Amino acid sequence: MGDTEARTAREEWGSRFGFLMALVGAMVGAGNIWRMPFTTGQNGGGAFLVAYVLLLYLVAVPGLMAETMIGRYTNNGVIGAFNQVLGSKRARGLGLVVLLVNVALMSYYSPIIGWALYYAGHSLLGTFTQAGFQPQAFWNGFIGNTALVVGMHTLTMAGLAGVLVFGIRRGIERVVKWMIPLLVFALVAVAIRGVTLPGGMEGLAFVFTPDWEYLTRGSMWVAALSQALFSTGLGWGIALTYGSYLGRYDDVPLGGGMFTAIGNTSIGLLAVFATFPVVFAFGLEPTAGSNLLFISLAEVFPELPGGAAWAAVFFVSFFFATFTSGLGITEVGVTTVSEETRLSRTGSVLAVCGTIWLFGLPSAYSSSFLGQMDFIFGSFGLPLATLSIIALVAWKFGPERARVIDLNRNAGVYVGRWWNPVVKYVIPVVMVFILGYGVVTNIGTDNQTLTIVGVALMAALVVASVAVMSVVGDPQDDRPGAASKGGD
Amino acid sequence: MALSTLAWVTMGLSLLVLPGVATAILVRSMRSEDRKLELLERQDNIDSYSPRALQELREWIQTNPNDPYAPEARARYNECVRTLRAVDEPYYDWSPEQIENLETIDE
Repeated sequence: MGDTEARTAREEWGSRFGFLMALVGAMVGAGNIWRMPFTTGQNGGGAFLVAYVLLLYLVAVPGLMAETMIGRYTNNGVIGAFNQVLGSKRARGLGLVVLLVNVALMSYYSPIIGWALYYAGHSLLGTFTQAGFQPQAFWNGFIGNTALVVGMHTLTMAGLAGVLVFGIRRGIERVVKWMIPLLVFALVAVAIRGVTLPGGMEGLAFVFTPDWEYLTRGSMWVAALSQALFSTGLGWGIALTYGSYLGRYDDVPLGGGMFTAIGNTSIGLLAVFATFPVVFAFGLEPTAGSNLLFISLAEVFPELPGGAAWAAVFFVSFFFATFTSGLGITEVGVTTVSEETRLSRTGSVLAVCGTIWLFGLPSAYSSSFLGQMDFIFGSFGLPLATLSIIALVAWKFGPERARVIDLNRNAGVYVGRWWNPVVKYVIPVVMVFILGYGVVTNIGTDNQTLTIVGVALMAALVVASVAVMSVVGDPQDDRPGAASKGGD
Repeated sequence: MALSTLAWVTMGLSLLVLPGVATAILVRSMRSEDRKLELLERQDNIDSYSPRALQELREWIQTNPNDPYAPEARARYNECVRTLRAVDEPYYDWSPEQIENLETIDE
């Protein structure tokens, strides 16, 4: 095989713990900390959790097994994986779609990491507990200062580049091995403080008292599906990319599938414990989203005994959550560019981070633009990327072939035949449903124009990516050949 | 405000099926990695498939002999069989009788 030398020279994770922390860290982001709590509270509390956990085990866990497996099997980034399995120039365009969606996603996520960095920095300086501190004015002053927001976006991308340039083992792994455990300890500490506040238990009552009537509402199931799929990062190319650095004796289903999905959600649950007791103890609005974090919570820390320390613990851990996601999303591009071009690792890091920085400037400049990007790529780009990766495993490689040849190889847990129909039918149907549901429910609303733009943009992205990849580069010749019934 | 019994049960179950399961998986994963490393240091090789997984791989190869991926599947199958015959202690739960009865497949 032509790429034997490249394969043997390919970097691998230094430890199992490092891989697990990197993958969980990549999937745990801002959405877990601010979205999971209020989505739970808005959708029937305990009833939502029941639906969510069910869908997590049924859909997200098998999906992440598939994505990590195809990464380890191909030992390639997104374009290389599509190339190896599909072997056609045009089909590699789907790999490019995944890459471009990641770059777009990171372009507006980087400014958010910058916000988290700014608040983490000020929490360490004790700003939030100074006399006369006004959280709304502080937020307005920050977000209205373009130079400052762009500066934080720049600092974020420089920080990510500074880690990624050292590679998988000496870069990403070295950082996540302490950031993620610290994040967990910090959330546990804040949670303990929160539930011991007068009125804190009301927050837990709001979240965990099940309203079973919600189980009959379609909107609750859609919310649970979206949270189960998107908060776990299924199909973004991160599990594929990180999985491609696994060694031959490494397990996929236990770590790449089960631990990633369940560990990620566990941190979301910790965020529920960390935020809701505080929210209820101080009478805040639980559905305030990002405002809850940057304005409301900043307001309550001065009122807590030892508030400066609690603010630092909370905002630094929030920064860790976003930064480790930034590492994962950006690495998808770095791995692919370093494989598909003649650029070195350092050159690839600079090229990818520089591109993301450039495309991130409009989002850093305008929160409104950031919101529009989030709507378009969150609603249509990420489902498209997920559909592409799952289709690669389910409809081209074939679930049975994947399961018997690679998924159960060196596995820490045996995966039975139940996995095949889930990957082949359930996940694609769910993704198509979510895409369709997003379109239908937004037509006739204020988001109609954005919805039309989003759908048109994704269609153009697929056409353009397929066209570009059909004229760029040569497909590898080492794939075993076209799929046959062995994959079913 | 005190939590209702139902809320306590929901919270307890949530903690059990999420952080509880995640912790158990993490511990199991780290332990299995330690064992793999220990076996690799001692005998330089470990078996890649459990008895059930290897049986399924064999069945798949026999059912799909002309599949484009069949040569790779056969190579992986045979490598596991040869490893099982060579090592003193398998990683998976293989009995000596099971190993004795294994045969390689013509590649």
